[in-house]
Amino acid sequence: MFFLYFDPGLGAMIVQAVVAAAAGVLLFSKNVMYKIKAFLGLTKAKDDLYNSIDIDEEETDTNDKS
Amino acid sequence: MTKVEQTHEASFRDPSGYVFYDGNTLRRCILPLYFKQYRQLKETGFFKTLIAKGFLIAHEETSVSDTKIIITPEAIPFVTNPYEWSFDQYKHAALHTLSIHKYALSKGFILKDASAYNVTFHKGKPIFIDTLSFDFYEENIPWRAYKQFVTHFLGPLVLATHHGTEIFKMMQTHIDGIPVQLIASLLPFKTKFSSVLYTNIHLLAKMENKHSKDYQAETKVGTLSKKAQLNIVESLFDYIKNLKLKEESEWGDYYTKTNYEQRAFETKKAMVREWILPIKPNKLIDIGGNDGTFARTVINEIPHIIVTDIDANAVNRNYLQAQQNNESNMLTFVSDVLQPAPGIGFKNTERASLLERLKEYRPDVTLALAVIHHITLSGNVPFEKSAAFFASFSKELIIEFPTREDSWVDSLLIRKREFINHFDFYNEEVFETAYKKHFELIKKQPISGTKRILFHFKKKI
Repeated sequence: MFFLYFDPGLGAMIVQAVVAAAAGVLLFSKNVMYKIKAFLGLTKAKDDLYNSIDIDEEETDTNDKS
Repeated sequence: MTKVEQTHEASFRDPSGYVFYDGNTLRRCILPLYFKQYRQLKETGFFKTLIAKGFLIAHEETSVSDTKIIITPEAIPFVTNPYEWSFDQYKHAALHTLSIHKYALSKGFILKDASAYNVTFHKGKPIFIDTLSFDFYEENIPWRAYKQFVTHFLGPLVLATHHGTEIFKMMQTHIDGIPVQLIASLLPFKTKFSSVLYTNIHLLAKMENKHSKDYQAETKVGTLSKKAQLNIVESLFDYIKNLKLKEESEWGDYYTKTNYEQRAFETKKAMVREWILPIKPNKLIDIGGNDGTFARTVINEIPHIIVTDIDANAVNRNYLQAQQNNESNMLTFVSDVLQPAPGIGFKNTERASLLERLKEYRPDVTLALAVIHHITLSGNVPFEKSAAFFASFSKELIIEFPTREDSWVDSLLIRKREFINHFDFYNEEVFETAYKKHFELIKKQPISGTKRILFHFKKKI
């Protein structure tokens, strides 16, 4: 079981279902837009520090070997 | 062991372990309560990946026993706090936190603590410093640190886009983050039409309000699938990534507004470099360093450089420039010498005051260019007091003194109107005498093309 040393807030726990639903709609429509733009060749590749949420593990493995 | 062990003043909230000083070395003790999590995080390579990718501070396992595991994290020379960050620093810290939580979810863990104090800047980039902030993911349980993320990150960032980065200073008075109701009430009405802000802030505030009287914890928490939780995290990431500051730079391109010629500017740069290098410093701090132009003249020679300024826009430009140039030895933060960050939290010691941190940092060189006239004439701080301030943490002080003939000094004096005579003490002699009480004068030299004099002082022992 979890133990938690601060109060996560009951309202905050309950509200996440609604937040997630809204986020789902938003992400879905963004994806659709992205696909349309990509199809039309309108996407720009950005390369700044926090462009993507994902932590790329592949590179780490190669780093470890070196 | 004869060495003194002293727990770190900020380390008491999490019962999984605590941080303590073993002599001068900071170590982390993990208690049996957290052994299972720690071993999993270690054995699955979770820590290893995050450390290798520069997301989590590196650590070494120092000792293992049945009652405690001691790890020693890599030392961070100077810890900056959320209320000292510029906009992009704050934003990157938020994105950093979300990235880590998403990664944790993909490995069957969660980030159980999304406090902004778990991130600081090290080697030019944000870094997560609380190694014990992870726990096992439990199926269908919503993210417990969600509200914390909103009050520590989303709220302050969104408020900053409406009211400017001065808002970050509210973190000084709210160590647990800005209360959701307060965030909601400070946001303009139109934000209720944003699906992200309505749900994450306004609705959250409403729900928190509604359930705040549930003293017996009777209401069911509800469930949330992992996919739904990922949706929240990803949409927050997208939203924060695109946040931009409205506020136009107050000082803007400061250096195009200087009151001296480009040639004099270059002379000053060369002089600063020439004076610093023979000292062979390992650590330098530039107080009032704007966007780091002068500190950058020695960036290849000094292992650790801090540039701090009152202007959050200048600090932001410096931060972005450091990112672009991959300068891992440049640390930048916002501070006001006339009102330095106090010690905050329980016993006023959870987060150390700026002065305590400066004393601990002990820079080999303190650079103070074009600040003394602001301290003295805008802040009305007598020379004796500013000298004592610099002497409290500096070894060598390179300070620029703009004389009364300097147009900025002149303008500051004119603004004193009928009280202008009260500031007759603002002159080279009085300045030098006051500073000589704490320092030994090594040399002084006028900066050609300007009405300013550069002084090199050494702290008296």
